[in-house]
Amino acid sequence: MAYVETVPAGSLREERSRYCAVTGLRIYAGAQALTVANAVCAVLAVAVGGLFGVSMALTRAPSLELLGSKGYYVALTGHGVSALVLWPVFFEVAAMVFASSVLLNARVWSMKLGWASLALMVAGAVMLETVIVSGNASVAFTAYPPLVASPVFYLGYIVFAVGVVGAIANFAMTIAAARAERTYTGSLPLLTYGVAVAAILALLAILAGLVALIPAWLYSQGWIGNVEPIVYRGWFWGLGHTLQYVNVVAMVVAWYGIIALTLGAGPVNQKFTRFGFVLYLLLTVPVLGHHFLVDPSIGTDVKIVGGSLMGFGLGVPSLMHGLAVMGGAEAHLRSRGATGLFGWLKRIDFGNAAVAALACSLLLFAVGGWSGTAQTTLQLNMLTHNTMWVPAHVHAIVVGGTTLAFMGFAYLLVPLLTQRRLWGGRLATVQAYLYGTGLLLLVVTQSWAGMLGIPRRVARVDVGADPSSWKLPMDLMGIAGAVAGLGGALFVVIMVMTLLRGARTSDPGELIRTAERTA
Amino acid sequence: MRLDLPDLGGVDPPQPGWAKRLPADERIFLWVVLASVAVMSAFTIGWLWLGDQNPPTASYHTSAARFATKTQAFAERYKGKDGRVHVPVGKDAYLMAYRYGFYPTLVLKAGHPSRIWLSAIDTLHGFSIVGHGVNLNLQLAPNHAYGAVFTPTKPGKYLVVCNEYCGLEHHKMQITLYVER
Repeated sequence: MAYVETVPAGSLREERSRYCAVTGLRIYAGAQALTVANAVCAVLAVAVGGLFGVSMALTRAPSLELLGSKGYYVALTGHGVSALVLWPVFFEVAAMVFASSVLLNARVWSMKLGWASLALMVAGAVMLETVIVSGNASVAFTAYPPLVASPVFYLGYIVFAVGVVGAIANFAMTIAAARAERTYTGSLPLLTYGVAVAAILALLAILAGLVALIPAWLYSQGWIGNVEPIVYRGWFWGLGHTLQYVNVVAMVVAWYGIIALTLGAGPVNQKFTRFGFVLYLLLTVPVLGHHFLVDPSIGTDVKIVGGSLMGFGLGVPSLMHGLAVMGGAEAHLRSRGATGLFGWLKRIDFGNAAVAALACSLLLFAVGGWSGTAQTTLQLNMLTHNTMWVPAHVHAIVVGGTTLAFMGFAYLLVPLLTQRRLWGGRLATVQAYLYGTGLLLLVVTQSWAGMLGIPRRVARVDVGADPSSWKLPMDLMGIAGAVAGLGGALFVVIMVMTLLRGARTSDPGELIRTAERTA
Repeated sequence: MRLDLPDLGGVDPPQPGWAKRLPADERIFLWVVLASVAVMSAFTIGWLWLGDQNPPTASYHTSAARFATKTQAFAERYKGKDGRVHVPVGKDAYLMAYRYGFYPTLVLKAGHPSRIWLSAIDTLHGFSIVGHGVNLNLQLAPNHAYGAVFTPTKPGKYLVVCNEYCGLEHHKMQITLYVER
């Protein structure tokens, strides 16, 4: 008598699957395709965002002034939208699909919803990019009314956000289905847990964002007469600030992913780490006050408690994770025989591209965390508000921290999911260090410029007014931006070439290189 | 199935019993971090009185139209032949940000405190004094005003720029603040 597998009702779908040669996880074809498709969109977004970014850096360099003011404000808007919103969110949605299906040996709950969400996100992204390049939306990514862009701009944001909500729903349902079908045992894996925290924060961010953007859209259509600027500003940062913590949480997930896949290391302690994720969830929303420290609209008491004090608290989980990642690697390597104070560091192969990206990401995120904490107090915020200090901070945490961590994680995930060897061999390691160095220089020069009071988000300060001390740091900033841009471009080339030309293989040793040196 | 990666800590579900009480070293670490947050918080609050801090702490509701009228009246009353407004010692001054400029050009007396009412009348703007080793930044918004007390210490010409993106001519938005002996 033939053996007939009983299939639970409601899950009669048949789908091809394979087992990962490295992790042993069951990977369904749909989950794999959806993850890769989202990641490809992310890479395209970062390519566009990087192009805008480099052209901005070269415009702000007084010796070059590449773009005129009109072009600069197009690039300003495009850079914020592409590099700060589209790139990380596409990557985070890829992480959501991956963490809810592949990590749980499960199918994606609804492939239709998955593709529909992605289609909406792509449609929104295309609307945004085209309207920005056309010059009809030079309002910066913050779009404070009564600055007004073409309605397509706001609709692009809204359509993109609706797509993300679909992806979050699919993520939650996939976990629920995996739980019901018992495709994994016990608690959620750490990475899935972290991505779930990111997803909840993303949902909060989107809710606040819709409260800001829907009136702004109606205003751009001329259907309502007025949007109170300071109220919009509050809701917008409910989006912007919370979304930033989605990026931070996803970055931490990528850190743990990298030490797991390159060293086989876990966090020092599962409970400690999960507690850190919960702290992000609790503290993120109240801390958005730190965007308004020199605003004329809220009281000093709210600024101090919500901006400064809670802000210090929000530094705690980042400190916990930064050390727990390194501690996890250390504990693991010690258990494998590393001795002495730094013996474990010598056992790590820093020539491994993902580890190189992780090291640069940790360092730059620490720099950015410090500069962020510095400006979270009233007096220091008066020195730094809307000066180049702010982009210095943002580039350290979002580009140095999140983007580099995502790049490192992509160097592991893309080969594993596509069954192709990473293209270019050692080029990926060069990329991580080149990008990291460029960014460090960028952050240092921008911080220097910030201390001189040089404003951000301005094409130039018109001739005659520009103090002569501004020239050197801004020229160096231009050079740093070009170096970082080269590093970023290399990432895009490596990803595209891996997807198109990477040698097909299923040999685990070729797909992923362990970063542990044998003694 | 698996390469020689024995424990994929973050990738696999945690071992049963992961929710046990944290070991002592981790608890101590958390207390140390918490203590440093407490110290930073105490300094942040304490320094408001102990330190030499001067961010403006009072801001007021107004309306853009009312602020513009007040500024106009003030400027016309004290405008000198040079077109600049010489702020009399002890009198409140007004500075209004609009697309794309500030109004009026103020002349302050060194060593004397002046309250300057700051607001924007159309969109968000920035108020940033830069150069000559000075760096001070405030956010301006329509319908809200700062009444910030400035005591200029050194005579000279100070550059004030807008540092909140306010439109395509944003980079042209600046004014000189004069401080006379």
